[in-house]
Amino acid sequence: MIILTILCWVALIAFIGLSVKKFMDYGKLPQHGRQDLYPIPLESDEKFRYGGSYMEEDKWYEKERQHNLKRELIDMFEEMLFIKKLFIHQNKFWWLSYSLHLGMYAAIAWSVLCLIGAFVPAGVFSTIIIVLTTLAGIVAGVLMTVGAIGLLCKRLFVREFKSYTTPQEYFNLVILLATSAFGLLNWLGDMTFGFGRNIAHAMFTFQSLEVFYPEGVPAVLVLFILCLAFISVYIPLTKLSHYVGKYYTFHKVIWDNAPNMPGSKIEANIIAASQKPKDPNALKWSAPHENGPVEAEMPVQK
Amino acid sequence: MKNGKELRPRDMGDMSEQLIELTVADLKPLPAPFDKPEMEPGFKAPKAEWNEKYNSELDGFIAIDTFERPKTKEEEDELVQKFLRGVEKMLSLDTNGGIMQVLNLTMEYCAKCNTCSGACHIFEASNGNELYRPTYRAEVLRMIVKKYFDKNGKLIPGGKKGVMVKFVGGDIDLNWETVARLGELSYRCNLCRRCAQTCPLALDNGLIAREIRKIFSQEMGYAPKPLHEKGTQLQLKTGSSTGMSKVPFLDTVEFLDEDATDLFGEGVTEYKTPMDVEGADILLIHNAGEFNAWPENPMAFTMLFQEAGLSWTLSSDICGYDNVNYGLWYDDAQCKKVAVKQNEVAKKLGVKRIVIAECGHAHKAAAIMADRYYPGSDRVPVQSFLPLMRDLVLSGTFQIDPNRNDFPVVLHDPCNYVRQMGIVKPQRDILKAIMKPGHYGNMGLPYYEMKDHGVNNYCCGGGSGFAIMQSMSFPQWRNNIAHRKKLEQILEAFGPEVMENTDIPKYICAPCSNCKGAMRDIIEHYGLHRYNVHYGGLVELIVNAMTKYSSPYMEFLRDE
Repeated sequence: MIILTILCWVALIAFIGLSVKKFMDYGKLPQHGRQDLYPIPLESDEKFRYGGSYMEEDKWYEKERQHNLKRELIDMFEEMLFIKKLFIHQNKFWWLSYSLHLGMYAAIAWSVLCLIGAFVPAGVFSTIIIVLTTLAGIVAGVLMTVGAIGLLCKRLFVREFKSYTTPQEYFNLVILLATSAFGLLNWLGDMTFGFGRNIAHAMFTFQSLEVFYPEGVPAVLVLFILCLAFISVYIPLTKLSHYVGKYYTFHKVIWDNAPNMPGSKIEANIIAASQKPKDPNALKWSAPHENGPVEAEMPVQK
Repeated sequence: MKNGKELRPRDMGDMSEQLIELTVADLKPLPAPFDKPEMEPGFKAPKAEWNEKYNSELDGFIAIDTFERPKTKEEEDELVQKFLRGVEKMLSLDTNGGIMQVLNLTMEYCAKCNTCSGACHIFEASNGNELYRPTYRAEVLRMIVKKYFDKNGKLIPGGKKGVMVKFVGGDIDLNWETVARLGELSYRCNLCRRCAQTCPLALDNGLIAREIRKIFSQEMGYAPKPLHEKGTQLQLKTGSSTGMSKVPFLDTVEFLDEDATDLFGEGVTEYKTPMDVEGADILLIHNAGEFNAWPENPMAFTMLFQEAGLSWTLSSDICGYDNVNYGLWYDDAQCKKVAVKQNEVAKKLGVKRIVIAECGHAHKAAAIMADRYYPGSDRVPVQSFLPLMRDLVLSGTFQIDPNRNDFPVVLHDPCNYVRQMGIVKPQRDILKAIMKPGHYGNMGLPYYEMKDHGVNNYCCGGGSGFAIMQSMSFPQWRNNIAHRKKLEQILEAFGPEVMENTDIPKYICAPCSNCKGAMRDIIEHYGLHRYNVHYGGLVELIVNAMTKYSSPYMEFLRDE
């Protein structure tokens, strides 16, 4: 069944490729107007504490602006690793959401450990790796399962969530749940997650998985691989790819308070955009005041 | 009519006449002394003819006073088509490239975790009415986009069919009711962006409200008269959204100078506002509404700037004496036209900087929105009055006696320059220097902070144009819902002991014209004058603390 090995590669390449494409697609969009929202961690630690900005200074444009990289990184990692805003503003929801997310982080760690474990020779180091793989796998499976079931229940039975949840959003949780559940089912028959190392080994030696399963790859493992491959392709195509979006929403939207100073990159972008040739067929807004003279009136009913 | 607690986004197209009905009993209870039912004035019934002519299909209130109900099926269909063409332009780089990255992120990634709802004062005031949940209007728009547009944002006539569109959440049939209600619902949000501040994904459902307003204005030609016809259009024609042209403006300033001289010149000082001084350091731009509604504010600026010996001027040029820019709330083109004119005025005068006086939205329009309209080399730097004033006060430029400000003052933070510009501390530094310590105040301060303050503040309820929208029944909605949280904050900050002591004059310090408009409405609607509550700006408090003047600056203190 080399097909499973090929599928794993396709899924991995698709996940990385589609995620990169999405990242680049967002990056290609034109420079937008400022959307500052404070506190912004690029400001000094003192100003960040209460939400202040460089605009609190008289003649701010004559003063050197700080870029607080340390605070920016701290805030970024707090948000990435702990979903800090959700914890602060909606603590009850955080427990379920964080369970799912932490489970996924553990699943990524599990994958890396499986890859290492597949190729290290037997010995103390490989034993450590196997122990860590087992821990990461259990944490991933349990937390993802608990998180996905909890969120599903919330969206199925709590009115204010149910009213806004689409069939696809239920499906997203179901497919994540299925993946973690099949992972746990495989673990029940393989307590050190050897199947993970087998998959990694087959992938990186480009061999059929049947090398490890001469009597045929177990159905439950095939189902796990199918789910894993599916979500790898599916995630970057859907809103589950918010790991891409979050970079932009924070760094390029609410934290981007760089002023348009003479000689700045922002000014260069504005000049470049203004020099682009106008497309005569480009869409235009239709209300008269959009295209006519300054005083053009709307056709309002008086 | 639907039960507001059980409303779903797809109910937006329900063909009943009005989607929900509000009563005071449904709203969040207020603290003392408004915890008794008879204390609340409640809603006045709208006139029947308003509902017959205009669109009150949402919640019975009318914000878009230029939008009349379609009379024929053809008009209904045309309305839907115009709206869809507007959505297409919202999704096009040709027409909306300047916000596309932010918009796409918000359209794609909302996890509907409802964190934003907990931050929204309107949703809270309505006691959890689904119609006012920040995600509600955004979700309706998302459903329309999923159903009627391809992945490139191109309109699919008749919309997508089949199971897949329902699967992804495009289960909506667009009719004129949906369009009309969505337009109205875009004016049930103050655009304060408190929701975006708490979003774990940093998405902005307030932006969606503004985008819907843009579709209505920029494509369909519908915007509330106070914002467009009597707002930006009037400003571009006459120079000010108040309709005050150059000559009356000059007369008004002259009159205020005379007033300042007579009342506070003490026979030795003549106050004279510099006008159209070329090459001055500062072009100060007021909200022109101040000259009519709160003249003591620009008068205080003149007194302070003159006493400080600054090089400054006002402009009498078109748009140069009114810092307002209502385009910020509903229309990109109008916003740009006004901002460009203001910058041109400053360039023509050859001033070194524009200083925006006490007007929150003008701060944001001139300093943030306009920041990327044209190359930085063509821009005259824009700054807030607050850091300048803070430096003047703290440097001892004025002889201050904080004991002269011996009455309770609560500070309100305008969203536009606090949460959205990070100007938080200067106004607090000023208050600490000019208020009598150890008498009134909380948190060890000589003034009152609201429970949620600084960048976590709540909107006054007048934001995004609501303070000036007085048509038909809209003020009823605004006063009862949008202002509710601010009233609660004011009552809680002062506390019942101070609040209910009518011998103590209380002052709401709202350094923003729109916020002051909101405070005026709150005081009037809820009858807070019974409790000796007053409101005004920050510079008035500074002048009031100056030892140079023998009488108090604020009229309510003089009367005493």
